[in-house]
Amino acid sequence: MTVSTGRRTPRADCTAGPGGGITFDLDLGRREDEEAPELLLRLRGAKGKGDGDTVRLQLSPLRDGRLRAVLPGTLEPAEGRWDVYLREPGAQDGEAVAVEPGIRDLRLLVDQVPQSGRIAVRIPYPTLDGRLAVRCWLRTPHAEAGPVTFDGHGMTVGGTLYGTGLGAGARVEARAPGADGRVLRVPVTGDGEEGTFAFTLPLDELADGAVTEPRLWTLWLIPGTAEDGPAGGVRISRILDDVWDRKKIFVYPGRSTGEGSRATPCYTTDNDLCVRLEPEPAP
Amino acid sequence: MHISFLLHNAYGVGGTIRTTFNLAGALAGHHDIEIVSVFRHRDVPALGAPEGVRMSHLVDLRKKSPTYDGDAAEYARPATVFPRGDSRYRQYSRLSDARVADHLRSLEADVVVGTRPGLNVHISRQARRGPVRIGQEHLTLDSHSYRLRREIAHRYPLLDAITTVTEADARAYRTGFKLPGVRIEAIANSVPEPSVPPADGDRKWVIAAGRLHKVKRYDLLVRAFADVVAVRPDWRLRIYGGGDATGNERAALLALIEELGLHNHVFLMGPVNPLEAEWPKGSIAAVTSDRESFGMTIVEAMRCGLPVVATDCPHGPREIIDDGTDGRLVPVGDTTAVADALLGLIRDDEARHRAGRAALAASQRFDPARIAERHERLFTELASRGPRDRSHGALSTTLHRARGTVLDGAYALRYKAAAVIRKGKTA
Repeated sequence: MTVSTGRRTPRADCTAGPGGGITFDLDLGRREDEEAPELLLRLRGAKGKGDGDTVRLQLSPLRDGRLRAVLPGTLEPAEGRWDVYLREPGAQDGEAVAVEPGIRDLRLLVDQVPQSGRIAVRIPYPTLDGRLAVRCWLRTPHAEAGPVTFDGHGMTVGGTLYGTGLGAGARVEARAPGADGRVLRVPVTGDGEEGTFAFTLPLDELADGAVTEPRLWTLWLIPGTAEDGPAGGVRISRILDDVWDRKKIFVYPGRSTGEGSRATPCYTTDNDLCVRLEPEPAP
Repeated sequence: MHISFLLHNAYGVGGTIRTTFNLAGALAGHHDIEIVSVFRHRDVPALGAPEGVRMSHLVDLRKKSPTYDGDAAEYARPATVFPRGDSRYRQYSRLSDARVADHLRSLEADVVVGTRPGLNVHISRQARRGPVRIGQEHLTLDSHSYRLRREIAHRYPLLDAITTVTEADARAYRTGFKLPGVRIEAIANSVPEPSVPPADGDRKWVIAAGRLHKVKRYDLLVRAFADVVAVRPDWRLRIYGGGDATGNERAALLALIEELGLHNHVFLMGPVNPLEAEWPKGSIAAVTSDRESFGMTIVEAMRCGLPVVATDCPHGPREIIDDGTDGRLVPVGDTTAVADALLGLIRDDEARHRAGRAALAASQRFDPARIAERHERLFTELASRGPRDRSHGALSTTLHRARGTVLDGAYALRYKAAAVIRKGKTA
């Protein structure tokens, strides 16, 4: 990679480390005696008041003259999308410039097995307009979705529960959108040792009369134990790999639910598992 | 040496541009290198200009530029020098004809290198006497239309050398045409060493990459992977690449994945650029095309330490892969053979690791520095002979070009006649 101190957009190569840390290597040269710029991570959509909306990372020169910053695995930025900026010494935060994504070596994120029940995921990714951002999730407890299989009208989802176990009242809820939306409850089974869970959702029971427009049912796991975690249950998601937006990558077949409607499991751009209920497309 | 490359458009994205940039960058350490782009539609090259290389353009298509050429009357008139058979014909014009001619007639270089058939024809017809004339073929001879092949037969005798990316294609040029005195040499494309460490060979993913197009035969790969999953459901497949304008291959592949129940095992990842950090997420690469002009992705995967299972299709794979050592070659269109080759590497961890290490070592021969050396040797050798000792002295050039003019007249007459007849029929 070329080293340049010109005014062009800085570019950062990213490497996911074994402890969940992310290393940013910038293609900017600095001599040892020069003051180094700072890498800013800004939470997108934040009001810009709270201290938790900006993470400041120190950049230090490497032996080849490039600059490196590390987002340590122990730091837990809030869940959301963090845009990466470079602030030159003496400049205000508002003058910081966006950083371009370079090579992102994220092999350690693929098929990762968390070491504790506290899930902190961070995936560096290129935004649609070509900037570098970091997608973060913080989940305790966390329900990680796995394979989705079908048998007749039944959709079975297997997964792994982290940070809590399944109690006597454990169940999965499919919730229709809206405050007074319908809720479909099904039992969830699990293996306490492995932390695995599985549930089967009867897709034909989602349709209640004619379906005129697409509706997204969200899926929640209610552990049913004393230390339930969030009162409303645990959102079922899939976040333990390098795919920051699996909406168009994890594509599942749909099933007819009768009455001219169709149910299809899918992921949102936030990697939450849902079931899309929509009118059956015309043949 | 002063080496001047003539490129269709140095500001876009594509295999020829990338390869030319790699070569120009590698040569720039020892030589005076320029890239002349016939067209320029943006300020900065999308692929990043190679270090130490001068860039210029002949026809400015930047709408906001003070030297914008798109409104020139000559720009609207069809080209007569740039051959009709070249697939880019419609982008060329009287204006490009004239600008390229001016450039070539005044070019003070030791070597001039054309990078597509239409530009090689320009060089053959218009380069002044002196520079060594090189015509590069980045695709393959048999991918060209009959019309273009006829033009090649007619024009290429005035080149000093033709380089192809495979031996197979060099043979096609040698046997297909009478090109006495024209050196025909195969020099593979180069792939730089990846900046990420090689794969460890333990990740249970197969990786494929390339635009989603029928010729890549991802349908074959997906079907073969159904057989793999039946035996080894712990392995999965990632296919990187976007759809293109030629059809809805993505929808077709999604339908096939659904039909085979592979939605938990096969994933269409979409376009990813750069790709080099994606290969080490897997342990085996697969290329199941019906044809490849070279097989760039095979080399890219090998440079990341992945053994490649590839169809033994024309032209490149068998010149890249040493079957059984650093990868596997299987018959074209044979689902079972693809599945068996994949399973062979999946079942035998030691064989997979060994093949991965062999791929890493063998693919070093495609390093830009080593590939550039081969071009450099060819250029040096031809330049040292001087124009009089090369095949095309002043006399033969003049004679050939004169004959060409007569023939051009005849061709033009024939096309005009044909056009009149067509018009007559449709009127």
